[in-house]
Amino acid sequence: MRRLGPLWRNLFRKKQVDADLDAEVRSYLDLLQDEKAHRGSDAHSARREALLELGGIEQVKESVRDARAGRLLESMAADLRHAWRTFRKIPLTAAVIAGSLGVGIGVNTTVFSWIQAVIFEPLPGVARSGDLQRVEPRADTGSYPGVSWPDYQDLQRSLKSFRDVFAVRMVPFYVGETGRTERITGQMVSGNYFSVLGLSPAQGRLIQPEDGARVGAAPVVVISYEFWQQRFRGSPDVVGHNLRVNDRPLTIIGVAPPRFQGTDLGLNVSLWTPATLAPLLLTGTTELADRSQRGYNVMGWLAPEASRAAAESELDRTIRQLGQLYPETNGRMRGEVMPFWRPPNGPQRMLARSLGLMQGLMFLLLLAVCGNAANLMLARSSRRQREIGIRLAIGAGPGRIIRLVLTENLLLALLGAGLGWLVAIWGTDALRVVPMISTFPIRFQTRVGLSGSVFTMALGLLCGLIFGVSPAVALARLDPQSVLHGLSGAGFRSRLGRALIGTQAALAIVVLISAALFFRSFRETQNADPGFVRDGLLLANYNLTGRGGDGNAARRFAANLLERVRALPGVQGAAIAGSVPLDIHGMPLMSLQVKGHAPAEAAPDRGLMNTVTPGYFATMKIPFRAGRDFTDLNDSDAPAQAIVNEEFVRRFVRSSQAIGRAVTARGRSYLIVGVVRNSVYEAFGEPAIPMLYRSYRDAPRLGGEIHVRARPGSETLLGSDLRRIARELDPTLDLYDIRTMNEHIDRNAFLRSIPARIFAVLGPLLLALAAIGIYAVVASSVAQRTGEIAVRLALGATARHVIGQIVRETLRVVSVGALIGWLASLLVDLHLAGGVIYLPVFVGVPAILFMVAALACWLPAYRAGRTDPMIALRQE
Amino acid sequence: MPSSSVNLLQGTLDLLILKSLVLEPMHGLAISRRIEQITAGTFQVKPGSLFPALHRMEEAGWLASSWGESENNRRAKYYQLTKAGRRQLEVEAAQWSRISVAMARALEAS
Repeated sequence: MRRLGPLWRNLFRKKQVDADLDAEVRSYLDLLQDEKAHRGSDAHSARREALLELGGIEQVKESVRDARAGRLLESMAADLRHAWRTFRKIPLTAAVIAGSLGVGIGVNTTVFSWIQAVIFEPLPGVARSGDLQRVEPRADTGSYPGVSWPDYQDLQRSLKSFRDVFAVRMVPFYVGETGRTERITGQMVSGNYFSVLGLSPAQGRLIQPEDGARVGAAPVVVISYEFWQQRFRGSPDVVGHNLRVNDRPLTIIGVAPPRFQGTDLGLNVSLWTPATLAPLLLTGTTELADRSQRGYNVMGWLAPEASRAAAESELDRTIRQLGQLYPETNGRMRGEVMPFWRPPNGPQRMLARSLGLMQGLMFLLLLAVCGNAANLMLARSSRRQREIGIRLAIGAGPGRIIRLVLTENLLLALLGAGLGWLVAIWGTDALRVVPMISTFPIRFQTRVGLSGSVFTMALGLLCGLIFGVSPAVALARLDPQSVLHGLSGAGFRSRLGRALIGTQAALAIVVLISAALFFRSFRETQNADPGFVRDGLLLANYNLTGRGGDGNAARRFAANLLERVRALPGVQGAAIAGSVPLDIHGMPLMSLQVKGHAPAEAAPDRGLMNTVTPGYFATMKIPFRAGRDFTDLNDSDAPAQAIVNEEFVRRFVRSSQAIGRAVTARGRSYLIVGVVRNSVYEAFGEPAIPMLYRSYRDAPRLGGEIHVRARPGSETLLGSDLRRIARELDPTLDLYDIRTMNEHIDRNAFLRSIPARIFAVLGPLLLALAAIGIYAVVASSVAQRTGEIAVRLALGATARHVIGQIVRETLRVVSVGALIGWLASLLVDLHLAGGVIYLPVFVGVPAILFMVAALACWLPAYRAGRTDPMIALRQE
Repeated sequence: MPSSSVNLLQGTLDLLILKSLVLEPMHGLAISRRIEQITAGTFQVKPGSLFPALHRMEEAGWLASSWGESENNRRAKYYQLTKAGRRQLEVEAAQWSRISVAMARALEAS
């Protein structure tokens, strides 16, 4: 408290305090001189002796200032003022540093906000959702088929290492009055869903365990907050209203809390119903009793004392027990526990993985930016050696110099962080605006938020330290004697500068090659051969649920529909299938027995299954390898038929003749009538999977996907014709989700395209940063060597020669760095792409880098070559 | 090690300054000469240590300063003890005697 007065004086009446101190020290000197004179020295030597004993007026004053209250504050303020003045002297350099830091920090924060949204808070509105775990059975084929409803009930009873587990399954619902329905994404959930998630309703109540306890309970539905706002304008009396879903009236019992959007990463869900409503909503389904229908995802939080490893071994035990009890459907399965944000399949898995990789690359990019900043600051500091030398000579300690230079750099870095924060807010927004293709509702609630802002500032400070420490230390270690005598210590900075250029070239190569590979692999999925012809295919979904028709009616409808569609002009083929390849939710996996093939272990063989009409393979342009297509839909004599793919034959039939062999699946026997080529079913790059197609004739379904083949480009024109035909057959029937096969594939590739899009922006940006860095180093080294260059020009060297030498020297350093980076990215590539080396990328990227580097060092070199030796030498 | 020796020295210097100002206000050079005299030349206080100490002690409220005329008619800044300074002198002197007695005992012990 007592020191507050002096503090005030020291900080705000600095001039007066300083004058007083000066007078005091001088009076001391006078008194000392008097004393010496008194002892007999003459006036001149008395003065000298007094000065010697004092030890320097300025030094004494500085030591008093150091002892004073508020010293730290005062010098910080002085440093900040000084830093600001320094920037005003070099506006361009300061702007380039702050700007590039801003971009670097901004993209880092943008990626961080995505990681935040995907990994740390994957379920908006749910507390601790980053710790939510998935319970996944894994088949010995390596796929994760999901959990059936009866399995879930067993798991929920027996798993002790979870506090509780819930089950959830994504279902497209048809909402509205017959004939005016709309396809809405919903989830069918176990009764404990909302209570395990710990949610409380915005209106009414949520689904409770009693709602999902038994089949035949009251038909209820919970709607999302967004749906409530959009459809009911947030009206509070929505509770108790009826909502027609799949042509059944459901009672709205409540509204979910505001940000909650379901438990499918990135998917925006609007409705939740108890799973036990399945028989009511999905006519003819047996999913509540059938262990082979594995549509559910099971999740929960671990019990307080349980570890993930313990939970996994418990799960594994339980799943094996189920396998012994029901070998037919549950055999050869293992159990795995994994975090919610790392789903076992689908595009979401890809997203989480690539976000991690991207954050790593962004950090590298930021390092490159720091390298640039350090370079520019070093370039500056070599010109500042004189100033610093004087400061050191008149009594500033090395610590004081370090603080001065660090303050400048931290201030710059914080300016950059502020810019970065703005960039991040813009970038997060820009990426969130997702192109909505048809009805698949993707929504990521990314935002910069508090943690993002803290992240930004922390990155800024870190950057300031990274690029500030080396110039600060280098300057503080200057020898004032040699600096003031004009022996500039060029050694430290050209070595450091070169190391920075090399590192940056290496970083640029790594990031650019990874970016190119990412982009390429994305393009590749766009252009890869899926095993069918994707251009010229139109898809449309229909659903006859709730019309009370049986299998015969469904078959008749399909036959009539196809007959009319095929008659349309321009249509080359048409078929109906239960599933479309590359769908976000995959195809059902079935166990099956092939006659004459004994499975390796006690459990049965397995394959994917699709149900298709005759003409499907011609429409998809999947070639037959043997046999023929299914018999006509109206043929009532032929036995049940199946068509299998080559992988099926390779695994289960071996070398012998496949045609005519019997296959049993879901308790029914089929005769193999054809073998078709393997194609892609769930994802590009998947291993070959055994596939079994049943005929629609043998297993008619109430819904399906219409496939229409036309000349590429003309397929989009057929949509209205399809709608008209459907109405002709049933005036209340709507078609949903009419899209081309290419749109269908792109939609599923959407999540994959996020990283590719980010990279497309980043690649050029990084190249620009590398160029700035090289330019900075070369420009400063040239500036430093003006004298030398002038002498050489004066002695007869040509400008060409001088330029050539500077460019050669720089490119040598660039190539060492580039080589290191090239080797590093080769390793990354081998890891990522599994041994495939894309020559154009690995040759093209370094070539581009070299061109840019050459330009960046040629510019300053060219200027140096035009130096007038006379002017330059006079300046020395 | 450095911090403890510095503390000891700083404490010593403070005590010597306080002690030398008991009788009358003095300017910096006089204080330094006085300390030399009363310690029989053992401590020679350089301005580089004297001035920071004086200013620190003034900020702590132990000393007060004012400008005055020296014996040979030069302007000089005079320091004098405040009430707090006298109390501080008693505290530090007592502390110092305890230390010196203890040190003497320790060195005499066999």
